[in-house]
Amino acid sequence: MPRDSGALLLCAMAESEAEIVVEDPDAPAADSPAVTSIRTVDMVVSVLLVGFAALMAFDNWRTGMSWAFDGPQAGYFPFYLSVVLAGAAIYGLVTSYRSKSEAGTAFVTRDQLRRVLQVFVPTLLFILGTQWLGIYVASFLLVAGFMRYVGRIAWWKCVLTSFLFTAAMFVTFDVAFDVIMPKGPLEAAFGR
Amino acid sequence: MTMLTTARFCGAAALALTLATGTASAAWEPTKPVEIVVAAGAGGASDQMARMMQSAIQKNNLMKQPVVVSLKGGASGAEALMYMKGSDGDANRVLIAYSLIYMLPLSAKVPFNWRDLTPVAVIAFDEFVLWVNASTPYKTVKEFADAAKAATPPFKMGGTGSKREDHVLTVLLEKKTGAKFAYLPYTSGGEAATQLVGNHTASNVNNPSENLEVWRAGQVRPLCVFSKERISYKGKVAGDTAWGDIPTCKDQGVDVQYQMLRAMFLPGKVTAEQTAFYEDLFKKVTQTAEYKEYMEKQALKPAFMTGKDMVKFLEEDDTLNKGLMTDAGFVAQ
Amino acid sequence: MEAFGLLLQGFGVLLTWKILALMMVGLILGIFVGVLPGLGGPNGVAILLPLTFTMDPTSAIVMLSCIYWGALFGGAITSILFNIPGEAWSVATTFDGYPMAQKGQAAEALTAAFTSSFIGSLFAVLLITFLAPSVATFALRFGPPEFFAVYLLTFCSFVGLGREDKHKTIISLTLGLLLAGIGMDTVSGQLRMTFGSTELLRGVNFLVAVIGLFGISEILLTMEEKLALRGHTASISLRTVWKVWREMPRYWATLLRSSIIGSWLGVTPGGAIAASFMGYNLAKRFSRDPKSFGTGRIEGVFAPETAAHASGTAALLPMLALGIPGSGTAAILLGGLMVWGLNPGPLMFVEHKDFVWGLIASMYLGNVVGLVIVLTTVPLFAAVLRVPFSAIAPMILVSCAIGAFAIQNAMFDIWLMLLFGIVGYVFKKIGIPLAPFTLALVLGNRAESSFRLSMIGAGGDLTVFWSNPLVGTITTLAFTLLFWPVISALFDRGKRLLLPAKSERSGPA
Repeated sequence: MPRDSGALLLCAMAESEAEIVVEDPDAPAADSPAVTSIRTVDMVVSVLLVGFAALMAFDNWRTGMSWAFDGPQAGYFPFYLSVVLAGAAIYGLVTSYRSKSEAGTAFVTRDQLRRVLQVFVPTLLFILGTQWLGIYVASFLLVAGFMRYVGRIAWWKCVLTSFLFTAAMFVTFDVAFDVIMPKGPLEAAFGR
Repeated sequence: MTMLTTARFCGAAALALTLATGTASAAWEPTKPVEIVVAAGAGGASDQMARMMQSAIQKNNLMKQPVVVSLKGGASGAEALMYMKGSDGDANRVLIAYSLIYMLPLSAKVPFNWRDLTPVAVIAFDEFVLWVNASTPYKTVKEFADAAKAATPPFKMGGTGSKREDHVLTVLLEKKTGAKFAYLPYTSGGEAATQLVGNHTASNVNNPSENLEVWRAGQVRPLCVFSKERISYKGKVAGDTAWGDIPTCKDQGVDVQYQMLRAMFLPGKVTAEQTAFYEDLFKKVTQTAEYKEYMEKQALKPAFMTGKDMVKFLEEDDTLNKGLMTDAGFVAQ
Repeated sequence: MEAFGLLLQGFGVLLTWKILALMMVGLILGIFVGVLPGLGGPNGVAILLPLTFTMDPTSAIVMLSCIYWGALFGGAITSILFNIPGEAWSVATTFDGYPMAQKGQAAEALTAAFTSSFIGSLFAVLLITFLAPSVATFALRFGPPEFFAVYLLTFCSFVGLGREDKHKTIISLTLGLLLAGIGMDTVSGQLRMTFGSTELLRGVNFLVAVIGLFGISEILLTMEEKLALRGHTASISLRTVWKVWREMPRYWATLLRSSIIGSWLGVTPGGAIAASFMGYNLAKRFSRDPKSFGTGRIEGVFAPETAAHASGTAALLPMLALGIPGSGTAAILLGGLMVWGLNPGPLMFVEHKDFVWGLIASMYLGNVVGLVIVLTTVPLFAAVLRVPFSAIAPMILVSCAIGAFAIQNAMFDIWLMLLFGIVGYVFKKIGIPLAPFTLALVLGNRAESSFRLSMIGAGGDLTVFWSNPLVGTITTLAFTLLFWPVISALFDRGKRLLLPAKSERSGPA
């Protein structure tokens, strides 16, 4: 797994030779208060996993989970996998409850959460928009809006970049390669 | 008692083909790329047929809009059925259907009924053949069945999918011969073919096209075809044997018959003009060189049937399949 | 020697301007689909397949296979520069490739990735050239028990060799296997775990999960970091290339080991994903300094890339020789061959000799041309680094959504992708490894059905997994890897008994 999450440039950048130095004025403050600890999240996830395992175990018990004369039934493997999953999750619940280091580490700070929501909420709106407007219009709005409101880039740059990107996607997928994508009223108006 | 007699419908189809030559030009035309929905995985018989039609339509300029093949083989093809069911009124999607439209709703309780869709045309019938590994001594069905009856543990029979046409055929074979098989449901006919070559199964009931290459390589031997009459193709395929040289199972004393339709469906609630456009399109496809060449190479039985003939055929075929599924005990409670 | 003559003939077929131009186009398109997260090899090849219908079979398959090589090469670029694996098999490349880029060695990491891809592919192509006929007969010995044993080996190597908390690896693996089981059970023909939902019928597609787990979650994680950091522009100079190439012979053991693992897992359908992880894990295991892995070791780039590409290339061997695709992309190529009326199988080597050897020759040429193209065009792709993140992030989100949708034409999959994005974000932060999860998702169904087919065939007798030397060896090896921590502890204790003086001081383990 990537141990270190990506650090890419956000705003202004000053360049020297082959290196790019990036400034990030909006960066989360180091002393921002923690919203919750790793331990809490670890325990919540464990409980959710136990719940999920119980649901799956129930459904597979209903499907049939025994070993017939010629091998296992449809629910056999998933049922025992659920049992193993529940076991591992309960073990995890106990260890994280006892863990002092996890309790002391922040899962996410208030500043960090704000920035994560800056991406998450637009993404959510984008997917909702895709259902009504089609993927191309929604993509234009997402790219332009995100650049403008999160990146605070000049209007004309946002609209131009977004338009070029969306047009390139449209030409590649719809015109050149006939890949079917969700479409909305705008495409219908142009008869695509 | 259980046999499928689709052959006479094929005769009717050939007649329909010759009669319905001058069709009225349809007023409606697709405005978007047309999606051929395949209820199976990549490289399977349905996929190959869809791609044959795609190239036949594109090479002969039968339609202005392009054709896209959409693979929806998830959940053994149920994905494609549900996709079509949810596409009411969208005449830019056609399903390439086979016997799964009758069987899947029974075996897996998938809430689907082919009557929800709009039948367009039956375009071919597929045969089934009983194959054994070429290194085994069996030359006739009887020798094979006798050996299977005596065998412990039982012979392994390879096939595609569970509680589907291959499985039904295996059960029919068991009933007629008294032998017992351990049926191994593989995910594709190609896999069933190589597993037979590798001697991991004793036999399979693949379609001709699925075993064509291994037959030509001399690795498997056909015992009989599950059909009323022999396959009509006389061209030499494997060594000096032709498809037409394979005897029918009935002639060999095992009266099991089954043929599988290959048919095109539109979603429900489409207009009569839209249906007429596709009837015309697929009729033209069946007249192309690509179609004819494909039929011969895959040993398919050419057919063309539309309208009332098709619905009547589908109803009878449905009843027969339901009977077979019920007898085999494959209908989910 | 016969192979050599046929290969020369194959080159003769290829050396026309038209074919060489098609090769370039294919490679560039391939790198493009490889770089875009979520589009990936199988999808890219599938989408581009109809483009080739107007061509003759040889041109078409050369272009398609070049798209495939391009995708294999391209996956490494985003892994190293962005920590976003363009392909599931590039996940392991991020472990050391991205830290290298952070340390300012992006050019070295990219050169290492491309060169080792080239070596891996070359090894596999040589293998294909000389072993085609004999491997064909060997692969026929694979029945359900053998297939299951190979999957078991892959899973066990994760639990046994993984560095994370064992219970977290197990959570990841079982969760992946459970989700893989959703939908139709092919052995009994029953639906399971769908709870009556038609969207769940088709199951959880692993590509959708991968796009969410790696693409979306990575953007969320990136946003919460302080983004003021140094990045390295990655234009590859001849000097860098020379430096990396001079260093390479030192890692011959890693390269060879990864080539062998990759080719093995490619021929037996274990796949490039498993190969890249196994290559990485074993390089780490055999290293004198395993702790330095993950901090930006060049060996950590060589190992997974060589294995992934050897496997991706070797996957074409069973496809050509037997018609069994060793990977998702190979499956699409198989479909492509059939369009031109070429039925892959043992006979193809006899009846369409020209075609087969033309294809094999194109593997050599395509890889050489591909290496040159990626080494020279990287500055173009590296230019992405100069674009503000607030422009890149929404574009990646859109590409992910397009990718997730295009796989099965399902809106539901875009929502699923978002859900996996959240899961990936949380799991990464609480230390649940994601690699076992994706592997379980992709292999789970095949592993289960091969187990159950073995059981039906053997009448429920478990000894079938030791019924012949081939399956017995693989199964035993799998259990050895599963209990590797216990076994290596026993070895250590054994050593200590031989050297009692030393062990006294080191205390209880």
